[in-house]
Parts: sequence; structure tokens; C-alpha cells
Amino acid sequence: MIAMQPFRNMPVTLRVPLITAALMIVLGLVASQSVLGALDRVQDARMSETARLHVEGLSVALGPSVLRQDVWEVYDILDRARQASDGQRLLLTVVADERGLVLAATDPRRAPVGVDAAAFGDGAVAPEAVRMTGDPVLRVSAPLQYQGRTVGGIVTELDVTDLLAERWQMTLWLLLGNAMATALLAFGGWLAVAHILRPVGALAQAMDASGGAPRPIPTAEIPHGDPGLARLIETYNQMTTAVEERAEAERRLADRERFVSLGRLSSALAHEVNNPLGGLLNTADTIRTYADRPDVVRQSAELMQRGLAHLRDVTRAMLDQNRLDRAGQVLRPEDFEDLRLLFEPEAHRRNLALAWEVQAGAAALTSQPAAPVRQVALNLLLNAAAAAGPNGQVGLRVSNDMDRLCILVSNTGSAMSEADLRRLLASGPLPPGGGVGLRLVHDIVSELGGTLHHDRADGRTMIRVALPMMGVGHA
Amino acid sequence: MHTRRSAMLAGAAFCAAPMVRAQGNVPFRFALTPVFLDNDAAVISALRTALAEAMASEIELVQRRTYQEITGALLDGSVDAAWTCGYPYLQHRDQLSLLGVPVWRGAPLYQSYLIVAADDDAASLADLKGGTHAFSDPDSNSGCLVTASDLARIGASPDGFFSRSIFTYGHRNVVRAVAGGLTRSGSVDGYVWEVLNSVEPDLTARTRVISRSEELGFPPFVARSDRMEEIRITACMAALQGLATADKGQEVLRLLFLDAVVPANRALFDGIAVRMAALAGG
Repeated sequence: MIAMQPFRNMPVTLRVPLITAALMIVLGLVASQSVLGALDRVQDARMSETARLHVEGLSVALGPSVLRQDVWEVYDILDRARQASDGQRLLLTVVADERGLVLAATDPRRAPVGVDAAAFGDGAVAPEAVRMTGDPVLRVSAPLQYQGRTVGGIVTELDVTDLLAERWQMTLWLLLGNAMATALLAFGGWLAVAHILRPVGALAQAMDASGGAPRPIPTAEIPHGDPGLARLIETYNQMTTAVEERAEAERRLADRERFVSLGRLSSALAHEVNNPLGGLLNTADTIRTYADRPDVVRQSAELMQRGLAHLRDVTRAMLDQNRLDRAGQVLRPEDFEDLRLLFEPEAHRRNLALAWEVQAGAAALTSQPAAPVRQVALNLLLNAAAAAGPNGQVGLRVSNDMDRLCILVSNTGSAMSEADLRRLLASGPLPPGGGVGLRLVHDIVSELGGTLHHDRADGRTMIRVALPMMGVGHA
Repeated sequence: MHTRRSAMLAGAAFCAAPMVRAQGNVPFRFALTPVFLDNDAAVISALRTALAEAMASEIELVQRRTYQEITGALLDGSVDAAWTCGYPYLQHRDQLSLLGVPVWRGAPLYQSYLIVAADDDAASLADLKGGTHAFSDPDSNSGCLVTASDLARIGASPDGFFSRSIFTYGHRNVVRAVAGGLTRSGSVDGYVWEVLNSVEPDLTARTRVISRSEELGFPPFVARSDRMEEIRITACMAALQGLATADKGQEVLRLLFLDAVVPANRALFDGIAVRMAALAGG
């Protein structure tokens, strides 16, 4: 199974031709075996026939001479038979008499007259049983019949070197032919499969393109000849449209979220504006009543100045939060002052204790863009305020180490729900119900290359945002 | 008288006419043995043509395997003339007469060769004891009598001296048997061996002559003595002895590597007679 892993990881355009080639090789082997088997049978039959004709022919010619023990006649017949057969196939023929002694042989030096012929019959078979054994020399023996009785015997050595060479050559040609055919078909298979799978390749490319933002495949590239693939690509194109629409919707939602967070602060901010207004009106009455008393007027004017300055700060903070042209501005300590100005009235309204601690140095802060970080902090604070409940505690702690800016938002309320945690920590589809504030936090932190951690300890929920300090310029 | 003689002659001629016509239709039967040049179709055809032309008669060349068969056929009249060997001629010297003897290399003489395989180191007949031997024909002078008489002179016989002796019924076969290794040695006609040495040098190259006999009478053409007066026999004798002067005859002689056919007397074969006596223990 482990060995199969690399094969499974191969692209299908390579795998299919490989499988085709493997099947072709198997087919080639089977076909070759079959052809060689047939060749074997043909050669066996040929050898058997040659041996049979040779022995039968000699039996007829030799019978009377063997019966008379006429050495010369037997030799003469053998010698002429050898010359007639070109001496190619028949290496040696030995004729023995009834006692098994050599009467004559085509090569009397190898088989002298009168010696025991048994030595030449070792491993010899009957003509009809001759088979190619791989040995270049085959031996055939047969009794010599004349007038219905056995008068002697014949042993013949057949030279089959040429047949073995023919077989070897045939094997070589088969192997070569099969190898070429296999290579050709494998290449053809690769071309065909590559052609068939080209739309699939285009689909994969389109899906991988531009960093996960799938782009639709042009209509011209849709293979209308293949209904299955065409439907697949059309479905994909519809999906890309849906994804674009979803991204657009999320972008709009994120824009709206800024107003939503301000909206959530509106009643607290209204108090924040309203309270100084009461003081200012009282101070105006005091001035009118004691217009002739310069010290009272001066004191009242100072009061009015402080109240108006506060109003100015609050409205500026609100404007800063709302301004869309803050892109490119870096985070400063003042941004956290603004946040406190915006959030503190909400904390008071909810009767919450606020622990505010900004330890991070200006250098660490300026490595981050202002607008997204403010949005993240404000959303987390608003959620913490909502979760903390009456008389609860909400904390913000901004710190940094060598390479990260950490924003820790905590509250003493109940633990976060599973749905809220999924909104904050996961990238999957949004659970139904609920707002998009936490998901916005998640998306912004992801965009900034940061991480989010959730922890719950001692009745306190802690959300830690860690943002890498990698220079300014994030939008 | 004249008329009567004329009438008798006319009558005889009338009676004889069908016989002559019948004789004219019967081909002249001339026997050969393959002892000389084995089944050489060109030689046989040329010989037949040359004799037919010279004798103005149809010639039937009869081939037999052995001298014995030829001699038998000659004696019983189945054949009219034959080319045989000096030995059978002497065996039947009372019944056979010479028509002529071929001249080879300037003389009507030839030798018997004792041959072994080219790689055999035997130097004489004595070295061949216990080996196998090929004779050509029991009635051949060069192919049997010479070696048998040589053995008789040292008190041996072929059967005792050689482990096995075979007859190949052909001088060329003797050369084949020795060259192919079937037998260790062989007795062969020197004329045949020399002719083979010219036409089949590959065959003779595998043999080596270790001894040559004295010169003996060349195998003669013979006919039955009691028929020597017959016109056809005399015509045959004339044709044979005229081969050297006729075109076709010269062609035959060229094919046979012979010079001519000349008249001869029995004394030419005295050497063979001496060997026959030696074999007989005389």
C-alpha cells in the first residue's frame, strides 16, 4: 500500500497511460508466449516429420543391405543420403546390426564399424516423440524393420541450431515489436487522455488561480461535446459567481459593522453628549444671573470651556471611527484613548468596572494599521461588555513582545457560546442567527496575519489577539 | 552352273535377308562395370555414340555391378563384348579373346595403389595389419588380386591379416571408403585414382598412396573366342581400335583420360598371371 502511494499521487493524465502501458505489456507477454508456443509446436512437428521421413526412408533403402551385413552398401546409402540432405540437418546417422554393433555410420571416424552402438543412443527418442529441448543436437533412434522383422537399428543426430536461432530471433523480434507497440500505444494513450482531461486541467487551474479567488472558465473553453464535463464546468462557473457575490456581501456587511458598533454605542454616547449639555446650560444661566460678577463669569466660562472640549473630543472620536479615509494611517496611543472615550460611557451605562491598560510602546503600535486594529478592539470590547452582565468587569490590555502586538480583552461574564466561538475562531460558514461582529474580528486578524486565542479561566473569558509586527501598510 | 550358283546365292540371300535384317535390328550389347568410373553418364553416352557411329549399329551399354556378372553374361552370350579386367580375362583365357587394350600415359599398363587416409601414418602393407580394408571387387586385379597376392607371399590372407575387409564394387568407392574413414586402407586401381586426382582432387586429397605395384596389363576389351570371327565382333574390334582416329572416339578417350586402344596379346598380362599363381600358392 505504501508503494502504491506515489502512484496514487500521480496526475491522472500520467496514471492512465501508465495503466495502458502495463496492460499492453501484459497483453504483449501473453501474445508472445502464445506465438512462441505455436512456433514450438510447429518446430516440434517439423522435427518429428523430418526424423520420421529420414528414418523411414533409410529403413526402406537399408533393409536388404543390413540383412546382408553389407558394410559398404550401408555406408554408401548413408553417405549419399547425407549428401542429398546437404548434411545441414543430419549430423550423424549410425546403423547398427541385430547385435547392436555399428554396421556403418555417416561419420565412420566417430562411429567405427563394429563398435557398440548403444553409446550413440543415449538420450535418443523415437521420431514421433522428438521435441525441441533447447539442446542444439537432438537424437532420434528407431528400430530398422525389414520384411516384418527388426534387422537392426538407426540412431540419428539432428542439428537444430538453425531452429534455435530462428526461435531466438523470433523472440527478439516479438520483444522489440511489443516494446515499440507498447511505447506507441502508451504515448497515444497519454495524448488521448491528456486531450480528454484538458478541460479538467483548466478547471483545476481556474480553481487554484489568484490565491483562492476562483475565476470562471470562458464559455469558449467549455467542451460542449462532453455533456458531463460541460455541466461540471457550468456548475463551477455558477459557483464562482456565488462566491463573488458572497465576498461582496461580506465586504458590505463589514462596512456596515462599523456603523453597527457605533449604533451599539449611540445611547451611551447620547448620554455622554447630554450630560455636559445640562452642565453647560446651568453655567449659561449662572453667567446670565451673575453677569456683573467677573469672577463668577470667568469661572463659569472655564467650566463651559471644559464641557465643550469634552464634547469636541467625543465627536472627534466618533468621526475618527467612522471616517472611511483612514486607510494607511498607523496605530497610535491616541487611538486607544479614542476607544476609551467611546467605550467608557457604555461601560458606565452597563455599570461595569473597566480595567484599561495600554503598555505597548509607540514603536509596536505604529507597526499596525489604525482602522482595522481599532475595529477589532472595539468589537471585542462591545462583545465583552454585552457578555459581562451587570456589575461585571471588562478589561483591555495592550502589550507587546519582540515581534508581536498583543491585545487581550477579558470579561467576567458567562462563557462564550459554541456558535460565538465558531464565529470568532473558525473560517467555516456562519452559523445561523447572531451578528457578524466576531466573524469580522476573525477575518481582519487573518488578513493582518495574526492569531486569535480564546481562554476561559477563573470565571473570566479572555480573547487574545496576537498581531505580527511586520511594518506598516496593511489596509 | 553359274545360273544355279546364282540361284542358290539368291535363295540364300533371300533366306538370309530377314536374318540379316533381324540381326541389324538387335543392338550390339557392350558390357561395362562401374569398377572404372562410377556411373559417369557423360562417358557412357559418349562411348555409346562413338561405337554406334563406328560400327553403324545400335549399341546397348549394359552395366553390371561385378566382374563376375559381366563374365557370366559374356560367356552365356547375353552380351557381345565387354570392358573387363585382366584378372577375369586370365581366369577365362580359354574362352575369351582380346579386342584391344587402352593406352594410358603412353603404354597399355597401369598399377595397383595401396591407399590410406591422408592423416594415417602407415608406410607399407605391413603397417595395416589388424585394420579394416576396402577391396573393389574379388575379380579385380588392382582392386584385390595385387594386395591378396602380396599377402599370400608373406603367408597371410586378407581375412586373417585385416580385422575386416569389405568389397565396395568400384574403385571410386574404395577411395570414398578410405577418405570417409569407413576403412583404414584400400586397394585401388592406380589409373582410377590418378583420374580422380584430376577430376575430384578434394576426394583423393583425403587419401595417401603408400605403395604402388609393378606395372601390369591395363584392363582390356574382350569377347568370346568362339565369336571372334563374327562381323559385329570384328566391327567392334575395329571401332575400339579406331577410337583414336574418329572424332567421337577421341572425345571418349579424352573423357576417359586415355590415349588410344591398341591390339595386344596375352603376354601383356603375364604380370597378372604371376600374381594369380602367387595367390594360388604357386
